[in-house]
Amino acid sequence: MRSQILLFALTVASCADIGGTGQKAQLATHVDDWRDEVIYQVIVDRFADGDINNDYTVSPGFLGKYQGGDWKGIEDHLGYLQDLGVTTLWISPIVKNVDSDADIDAYHGYWQEDLHKLDAHFGDAASLRSLVNDAHARGMKVVLDIVCNHMGQLFFYDINKNGKPDEDIAGNGTSSTVTHINEYDPDWDPTGVQSFSSAGPAGRAPIIFINDPSVNRTPPPDLMGTPGAYHGFGRILNYNDPAQVTLGDFPGGLKDVATELPEVRAYMIDAFSNWVEQFDFDGFRIDTVKHVEHEFWQTFTAGVRARIGAEGKHNFIMFGEAFDGNDSLVGSYTVPGELDSMFYFPQHYQVFHDVFSQAHVPNGQASTAQIEALWTARKTNYGSEPQNDGIGVAPQKALVNFLDNHDVPRFLYDAAGDVAALRNALTFLLTEDGIPCIYYGTEQEFDGGNDPSNREVLWTKNFDETGATFQHVALVAKIRKAYVALRRGDTKVVYSTPHVAQETDAGIFAFERTGGDAGSAYALVVLDTNANKSSSTGDVNAMAVSAAPGTVLVDVLDPAQTQYTVAADGTLRMQVPAQSASILVPQDQVVPIQ
Amino acid sequence: MPVRSTFAALALLSFAIDARADNPAKPLDQSPQGRAPEVSDVNPTGSFEFGSYGRVGIASDLEGRVATPLNFVSHGPRFDEDSYAELELRREDKFKQGIESRVVATLALTAPFFHFSGDVNQMFLVRNLYAQAKYKGFVAWIGSRMYRGDDIYLLDWWPLDNQNTIGGGVSYDFDKTDTRIAVHTGMQRLDDPYQYQVTQVPSPFGIGATGVESLDRPRMVQTLKLTQLFRNGRVFKKPNAGMKLTLYGEVQEIGAGVFQDPTSQQEVPLPSDWGFLVGGQVGFWTGERDTHLNMFVRYAHGLAAYDMLAVPTTFANDHTTGDSQEFLFALGGNWENAYFGILGGAYYRYFSDGSEAATSLQRYSEGTVDVRPQVYLGNYFGIALDASYQARRYAFPDPNSTTGAPLFASMWRFALMPHFSPFGKGSYKRPQFRVIYALSVPDAGFKALYPVEDFRAQRDVEHYLGLNVEWWFNSSSYP
Repeated sequence: MRSQILLFALTVASCADIGGTGQKAQLATHVDDWRDEVIYQVIVDRFADGDINNDYTVSPGFLGKYQGGDWKGIEDHLGYLQDLGVTTLWISPIVKNVDSDADIDAYHGYWQEDLHKLDAHFGDAASLRSLVNDAHARGMKVVLDIVCNHMGQLFFYDINKNGKPDEDIAGNGTSSTVTHINEYDPDWDPTGVQSFSSAGPAGRAPIIFINDPSVNRTPPPDLMGTPGAYHGFGRILNYNDPAQVTLGDFPGGLKDVATELPEVRAYMIDAFSNWVEQFDFDGFRIDTVKHVEHEFWQTFTAGVRARIGAEGKHNFIMFGEAFDGNDSLVGSYTVPGELDSMFYFPQHYQVFHDVFSQAHVPNGQASTAQIEALWTARKTNYGSEPQNDGIGVAPQKALVNFLDNHDVPRFLYDAAGDVAALRNALTFLLTEDGIPCIYYGTEQEFDGGNDPSNREVLWTKNFDETGATFQHVALVAKIRKAYVALRRGDTKVVYSTPHVAQETDAGIFAFERTGGDAGSAYALVVLDTNANKSSSTGDVNAMAVSAAPGTVLVDVLDPAQTQYTVAADGTLRMQVPAQSASILVPQDQVVPIQ
Repeated sequence: MPVRSTFAALALLSFAIDARADNPAKPLDQSPQGRAPEVSDVNPTGSFEFGSYGRVGIASDLEGRVATPLNFVSHGPRFDEDSYAELELRREDKFKQGIESRVVATLALTAPFFHFSGDVNQMFLVRNLYAQAKYKGFVAWIGSRMYRGDDIYLLDWWPLDNQNTIGGGVSYDFDKTDTRIAVHTGMQRLDDPYQYQVTQVPSPFGIGATGVESLDRPRMVQTLKLTQLFRNGRVFKKPNAGMKLTLYGEVQEIGAGVFQDPTSQQEVPLPSDWGFLVGGQVGFWTGERDTHLNMFVRYAHGLAAYDMLAVPTTFANDHTTGDSQEFLFALGGNWENAYFGILGGAYYRYFSDGSEAATSLQRYSEGTVDVRPQVYLGNYFGIALDASYQARRYAFPDPNSTTGAPLFASMWRFALMPHFSPFGKGSYKRPQFRVIYALSVPDAGFKALYPVEDFRAQRDVEHYLGLNVEWWFNSSSYP
């Protein structure tokens, strides 16, 4: 009886504690070397639904609408990610968005409405803070996705000055072209979007902010709520025109911010640094960097580094996204004074798409010589010196590598379900120079096509860890963690081939990771990207390696731990089964995989 | 199980009643013939009764707006409540055999009224519509009813038990021990997607659609209340003084159902759910001039943490109320003499929803302290000062804080109320005609509860100047 009374008293006492909301974290540096990290890109709305009470306007199963994922859901499954080998989360934008536009929802977070408020669809400050704190407690880091280039569709251009957003069809299709006139998203005009009446031109079209609180489409309460903070040139039509790219609205009516204005730059620095101060994030993934002038990035990165650095946050990574295969363009944002790293889109196209995912296409696969050429260009196209107060690693050694992401079809969609190609590509991703980034759901073999089909709901897979691809990623991630050469070693391509068909070495690619910040640690990665045959590391001449003659190399990826010996002439000839890889380390460097 | 246990309690009670009726030591009929009267001997005497409770007032905020009720906690001072009135029509009958019955119909009117809004349409609420019969110590009732215990007047609140259901109940008074046991069962199905939904389906005959009740899950409540009275000099020397102890328990249940999201057409399973509530009350009274003190404590879990008229709005991830909890402690009382009186009310309440998130706006602790001292100026006039403090701490971050601190809101309120009381002086004498001036001082947390466009988010001080009258008489709901 006494125990029951005590139990009741404890229950009452526990009731009195309503729980904390999580105090603001003390900023700290949680990263030693970003190359040690394995990033996992999460669209928050799609990963896990930890709290059904923020499932506002969800439409389960309809991928253009909210699905209900939230920050708590991610925190609830950090163990799943750790088992996968993930060390860093990249979460989709957190700020308040225009909820819905043209019956498509802002589940992705890129339609910003207020840069100083959180998006309630994903939780509250406490749940976000709890996520970041829990991640840090587990040794994980959290990178925040931010957008400086544009805001959501917050206003329309009142071309006919009638005070309402018109959407009309003009023309008859015979004597004139049928045109969809849209005051939300009018075409590019180098003089700025103009007003017109039946009498002719009437000057710049007024910018009219929309006030529709039901979908959060309201004027931002600060600088971003003033027309002067935007360019007002209309929608980009020609991506080869630099003026349009940097000054035009992003397709979909996303309004281009006048980032050249000092007050706008200061605003962006303050707005996004504030989130770091509030939640102790470890880095920014920055959206659409090629749509903003270089001078902005110089000011922005310096401003953020100075502000959070003064509060104890260092090694804060800022990597940008330029959705472009132009290697020199992408690399241009890593010149001294700009970004620490870039999302390596050229590699996505030229390597993961052309070489790996197209292995199943007869005569459609690019050769591994293309990989070597791309990597060679990296040394000239990307910054060779670390940024001041940056991550301490040169951009060209810290590019963020990825198979696919939320803006392109999933790897398996392009590969027509070729899972062997996916696993081989993942081996490449996790052993090459730079920072690997895995798009959520890859481990569950998601195969969606273009947006939004590539933004599937992960929890339908019940966070299963037994799948072959999940296990493969986990294993290679463990190997990467165990061998510093695979993380910090310099890269030397020791074999590539122009052959993609039935030649002896068709599809072979091999590279060494040694030296640099890895010292004498050594690893040799050999892949056969060919889908149809095993190939050899030598057509006429065998592959020459840096390991000393006689060195016994052990394939740590092979459960049988097969050994190979470097020949007296310094070469290594080995046969690699179709779409598979070997990760070779000297016998005396082999360590148990944890 | 809870339903079964309640039915068992009802059976036990009916057995006790039967036992008393069969007890030869206490014949039911004292007629000379020594036999029970025939039914045909019934000769009722009865009356129609009219009773009422009401409050009507109007006030300005002295800044050009109508003064608006400002309480943000669950129970705050009542002086600025909206107008409201109940009109009770009652038939009461007494029969020869000691049987009494009543039929009660209470209609309620809520503001705004015609003279304010110009709207000729007035909504009526049915607050009571039930029949009750009494046979010696046994009372039975069935119908739609407010069914509740003691209140805290200043907070207009029944802290222990306050049921609003359609159902029935029985009670029995044990004369020897001055003990009462009462049980009640009730049901309601609110017109809310939590409980009820009509969806359109193809008509089985011809073309077109027809509605079907795709979600229909009434909520059941069973209550048990034991009251022990100590009066008539059994504890206190003064014959009119007394005390009472009350134990109260409640079980609520709701069945499973499926809600069909009208937007996505997805089916959302709503599992069955239940909850319980336990509580008690200790009351004292002097028998002089309405002086009394009541203390209440109660704990509720699961579905029972929500009032029967308040559906849950947040849930555990399985769509149940999960670990929802409520704990409260409350005090209410009055002391007065020929010159002076003081009413008081206070409570602490913790409420937590079933959400699995660390924070929620539906998780908070709150409380109010409210005292109303008054001096009587002669037999019919007086001045009261209502002073109160209310506060709520949310398990939710303060949106204006950069430190992650929880949202804390509070407000001081002071109301000066000169009044005229034609039925004489006293805290509970009604009607009472009042002029009220009130000053409310909210903190920044209070302002954060409202959109910046709302006047409550903008002002540091709120004024209230108004007229108000409150009455009650001959009402079964306000004995």
